[in-house]
Amino acid sequence: MSVAQTGGDAPGTPEVEVGKLAELVPEPASFRDPDNQVGYDAHGQVLRVLRGAAVEDWRALAGATFFADLVADGRICRTEPVDPDPDAAGELTLRHERIPFISYPYEWTFAMLRDAALLHLDLLLAALPEGFTTKDGSAYNLQWRGAAPTFIDIGSFTRQREGEPWAGYRQFCQTMLYPLLLTAHLDVPFQPWLRAQVDGIESGQIRPLFRGRHRWRAGVLRHLHLHDAMQRRYASTSVGEVKEQMKAAGYSTELVIATVRGLRKLVRKLDWRPPKTHWAEYRQTCSYSERDREAKLAFVEAALGQAAAGGGELGLVLDLGANDGAFSRLAARQARQVVAVEGDHAVTDALYRSLREAPDGPDRRVLPLVMDLANPSPGNGWRGVERASFARRADADVVLALALVHHLAIGRNVPLPEVIDNLAELGRWLVVEFVEPEDPMARRLLANKPPGMFGDYRREVFEKLLAERFTIVRREELPSQTRTLYVGAPRG
Amino acid sequence: MYLAYLDPGTGSALAAAVVAGFAGAMVTVKVWWRRIWDKVRRRPAETPAASDQEN
Repeated sequence: MSVAQTGGDAPGTPEVEVGKLAELVPEPASFRDPDNQVGYDAHGQVLRVLRGAAVEDWRALAGATFFADLVADGRICRTEPVDPDPDAAGELTLRHERIPFISYPYEWTFAMLRDAALLHLDLLLAALPEGFTTKDGSAYNLQWRGAAPTFIDIGSFTRQREGEPWAGYRQFCQTMLYPLLLTAHLDVPFQPWLRAQVDGIESGQIRPLFRGRHRWRAGVLRHLHLHDAMQRRYASTSVGEVKEQMKAAGYSTELVIATVRGLRKLVRKLDWRPPKTHWAEYRQTCSYSERDREAKLAFVEAALGQAAAGGGELGLVLDLGANDGAFSRLAARQARQVVAVEGDHAVTDALYRSLREAPDGPDRRVLPLVMDLANPSPGNGWRGVERASFARRADADVVLALALVHHLAIGRNVPLPEVIDNLAELGRWLVVEFVEPEDPMARRLLANKPPGMFGDYRREVFEKLLAERFTIVRREELPSQTRTLYVGAPRG
Repeated sequence: MYLAYLDPGTGSALAAAVVAGFAGAMVTVKVWWRRIWDKVRRRPAETPAASDQEN
């Protein structure tokens, strides 16, 4: 069976059999390896169609001890063949577990990217002694089940050929190591760099930032300066020729293992913590009374129960403007997956570090992501769809928007109808908080704006707009009397 | 677009060897030495052939 084609313009092009792949909705990011393509069937199952050498690679991999162990402990996504043998055309279809919410490295925090990098290196250290390696080293090959990373690109595993270096080294540097160096050593956020370039950060782009004393920071001289110099020096030399020469010079799998071990040691050493002043500033922005907080927790819990009563267990809950994740943790008791989106990198990173230490249970179902909700992730990569926009990936049962609307409407000048439209697009049920202009936090935002600019920012207007898009099934004013919570159910 | 014809993967392959420690660095030194030696040996014989091809 082959990739479906609808005839060819070239004379003598043979008829190509239409196969299973033709019946799948192709995954937009799976187009670079024709022997290894992922798509979705009508039931939403994630299928991978293998052909040629990829079938043999899979057979060998399926029999490897390291692979079975890593699948069993969840570090590689669950995978099984749909049929034990290839079909008449020599194609074999695999079924993967479905990842609850696809996220991208430019939405991860420092500690998340670091843990993902360590997982990738651990897989290699387990695979190499059994004669396997990975064809690439991309951060996009990792995804999250709640706060736990998992490797999803089974097609990346291939047989290690003696004497060949790890082909994924450069990609690993570009999508994982350089972003980590940038944040750990220079306190520069890596997310905007990765968002702008799906292939990651090129060595030449950040080399000028690591001059002077920064040249001597861990990993910089070898993996950045030397690596960049060698890329330039050998740019016009054939890689096959150099590989042959390396083989002849005695390069071996032991040296590949030494490279990966060295990288692991380096990545473990890298860390980033925000300056202490950051936390002092942060506390000033989320000060509300304990009574309000308790009332809010009770309201949200009841709202989630109400939403779940309609259709059983909740699949995905989006907590927008999640702060310390208190409401995400609450939602995780009633939902299979919660995505906690927060714009502050330090706060999101602290949330992740606390979740990854949590015992097995609801907290482990929370995936923290760092993103500015006034500028969410766009479609990226080839044709703008290779990496889907946040709005395309978000299809939540419930959206929590607590203490968020005033930030978008006043802080970012987004018209109130647009704010509510956006929340309605992201999910079916909405739990939302309206902060009166008289509230101390809203007053702080308004103090920076021209007087009279937000005449429409009033509770009556907000309620009217909300009622046009949802059925308001619950409303409660918090004890402070400057904040009101609403539950919007889907209309009709 | 001339940069599109240059492949940084070759230098990365060698860099991956260097970062493997002393033994890896020795591999790179051997490759360098071999490449220099090959150039020195090849030069006198290849120059006329290269000129012929260009014409």
